[in-house]
Amino acid sequence: MAAASSSDSDSGRAESNEASSKWLDAHYDPMANIHTFSSCLALADLHGDGEYKLVVGDLGPGGQHPRLKVLKGPTVLTESPLPALPAAAATFLMEQHEPRTPALALASGPCVYVYKNLRPYFKFSLPQLPPNPLEQELWNQAKEDWIDPLTLKEMLEGIREKAEVPLSVQSLRFLQLELSEMEAFVSQHKSKSIKRQTVITTMTTLKKNLADEDAVSCLVLGTENKELLVLDPEAFTILAKMSLPSVPVFLEVSGQFDVEFRLAAACRNGNVYILRRDSKHPKYCIELSAQPVGLVRVLKVLVVGSTQESLHGFTHKGKKLWTVQMPAAILTMNLLEQRSRGLQAVMAGLANGEVRIYHDKALLNVIRTPDAVTSLCFGRYGREDNTLIMTTRGGGLIIKILKRTAVFVEAGGVAGPPPAQAMKLSVPRKTRLYVDQTLREREAGTAMHRTFQTDLYLLRLRAARAYVQALESSLNPVSVTAREPLKLHAVVQGLGPTFKLTLHLQNTSTARPILGLLVCFLYNEVLYALPRAFFKVPLLVPGLSYPLETFVESLSDKGISDIIKVLVLREGQSAPLLSAHINMPMSEGLAAA
Amino acid sequence: MGLLDRLSGLLGLKKEEVHVLCLGLDNSAKTTIINKLKPSNAQSQDIVPTRGFSIEKFKSSSLSFTVFDISGQGRYRNLWAHYYKEGQAIIFVIDSSDRLRMVVAKEELDTLLSHPDIKHGRIPILFFANKMDLRDAVTSVKVSQLLCLENSKGNHGIFVLVKP
Repeated sequence: MAAASSSDSDSGRAESNEASSKWLDAHYDPMANIHTFSSCLALADLHGDGEYKLVVGDLGPGGQHPRLKVLKGPTVLTESPLPALPAAAATFLMEQHEPRTPALALASGPCVYVYKNLRPYFKFSLPQLPPNPLEQELWNQAKEDWIDPLTLKEMLEGIREKAEVPLSVQSLRFLQLELSEMEAFVSQHKSKSIKRQTVITTMTTLKKNLADEDAVSCLVLGTENKELLVLDPEAFTILAKMSLPSVPVFLEVSGQFDVEFRLAAACRNGNVYILRRDSKHPKYCIELSAQPVGLVRVLKVLVVGSTQESLHGFTHKGKKLWTVQMPAAILTMNLLEQRSRGLQAVMAGLANGEVRIYHDKALLNVIRTPDAVTSLCFGRYGREDNTLIMTTRGGGLIIKILKRTAVFVEAGGVAGPPPAQAMKLSVPRKTRLYVDQTLREREAGTAMHRTFQTDLYLLRLRAARAYVQALESSLNPVSVTAREPLKLHAVVQGLGPTFKLTLHLQNTSTARPILGLLVCFLYNEVLYALPRAFFKVPLLVPGLSYPLETFVESLSDKGISDIIKVLVLREGQSAPLLSAHINMPMSEGLAAA
Repeated sequence: MGLLDRLSGLLGLKKEEVHVLCLGLDNSAKTTIINKLKPSNAQSQDIVPTRGFSIEKFKSSSLSFTVFDISGQGRYRNLWAHYYKEGQAIIFVIDSSDRLRMVVAKEELDTLLSHPDIKHGRIPILFFANKMDLRDAVTSVKVSQLLCLENSKGNHGIFVLVKP
């Protein structure tokens, strides 16, 4: 509590600095330890007393201990452990009876846990999928001890590669095992019937037959098995089943189940599929260039956030309307709906710690937070209608309240030329010296040209002479002939009196190894001692750099340095292929002192 | 009614009739407080959220009060400004247990005090740090801290009262 109060005074100061802000800093607790996503946040009047609570499907620090937390105001009201990591949380009204307290649904693994009045009420499990008949047959044979585990393994592997229906968890587990563990596993599991179950990836609610705020809603589940299920709110039977070409990760619904509805499902293959009532398969498909990170419907526009740091707006028929570029990666998205003003906008939590609010293409507001926000939720919390709840990557909780007087206006973007155009080019100034020089050039241009040309001839001559000389004595460290492509450079390390001399020799041909090379050092024997002044080079494979090292010991006690020459020779030829000159540094060792 | 007598003494009022505005967020128990100030035979038993506003009258030893009990719900808060001219004193009620909305109360108080009808009017304001009996209530000192009352908002006479 002490930490919370001190942070509150901090935020109070920030608020006074930023008097024009549209948000009131209600609460900031960096130690709240809430690790969740936008899909696992839900706001609901769980006790029917007009005080809205926040439901959090918390993954726990490091995703280790999943918990269901219910927050009231800034504090946690109840906390209970969950059997598996939550995938989504939603609140919905199950039936028309009074009192109209909403039920809380939490999708986790293959089950939906329904809580009423914060007590476990119902557990819905996904229907089991039919197993592969071939696989079933194999396990039956194993049960009768007709086949040994090794044959079973081979045949299951055959099924895994060919069959369309994937294997059950039991078979997959069996295939992972070592030979020694197989026998025990088969004897333990052969009597059990094989099951194939899928898990829920996403969940949302869809109004059943009324569009009212307090109408009965159906749950819509997306499963790992590429299916969408619509559940009956009371009986938890499956009302509709739709199939998708890929695994859905984000769902957005509009309309009513009994009348007409549209389902938009963003999938792992980077497509958004749009389904309608009476269609078992997608009607429209939006292909994104990157994976979706969020899907929000604003009035009639579907807003998709992609991993390419951009928001795209689409119509319900899959026509692209607009694209907005973000300054950083999008971590989460959600809808901001201010009912009193009839405003619907998209919030996007960015990796640089900003939360941006967009109405279509127009940026309405930017909230800067101390840490990157990973989940966002806007709605009625406690007794305040326009509350924004954010949790940060570090597990902090930020609650902001929209001021009653705040109006979001589109910040009129700067029209006209971009600011870069007004920038002055850095053209250097010309001084008197330059003007005088041009005057001289104008007067004595011919002489200048002639002299320069003569000098250029001489320069070319000298360069050619020196080059021929270097070729003749193979002084250069890079061979020029196409026959022997080689590269050599030498490095001296150490302070002395002992130096480490490393030659890096590289074959620069594309695919021809070089055999039979020798390295020879030429040095003043009075000044330096080398253990091996002449050695063979291993076979040089093209592309690799071979470090060949020797130790050079400085013998002189006068601090004299000299040049050591390295020659690379071919066996049976006396002319070196290439050579390098190494300027040995001054020895700073005891010998010199 | 000792408190109200003190209030009237500070006001230095000689006249009989005093108009008091009772303000605060919704669910801060404005109506309940006014109800408790009324004589026991006039008190109503059940109190429902105020719609719009209601006018209550009661008497102390020397003064007769007319209280404008205005709803504190978000959509009715725009109406507050219409009564500022009539107000000779303000009762501002705060729900001490609603830690989250303290900023909203502060915001509303700031807009109230910066209103032209109130700003120069040297109106005494009585703050009720209400619902002190609740477990998660904060102390009156903390409430005045959170509302920044020590910054002496204008020239108003400010009293903080803790109602158990």
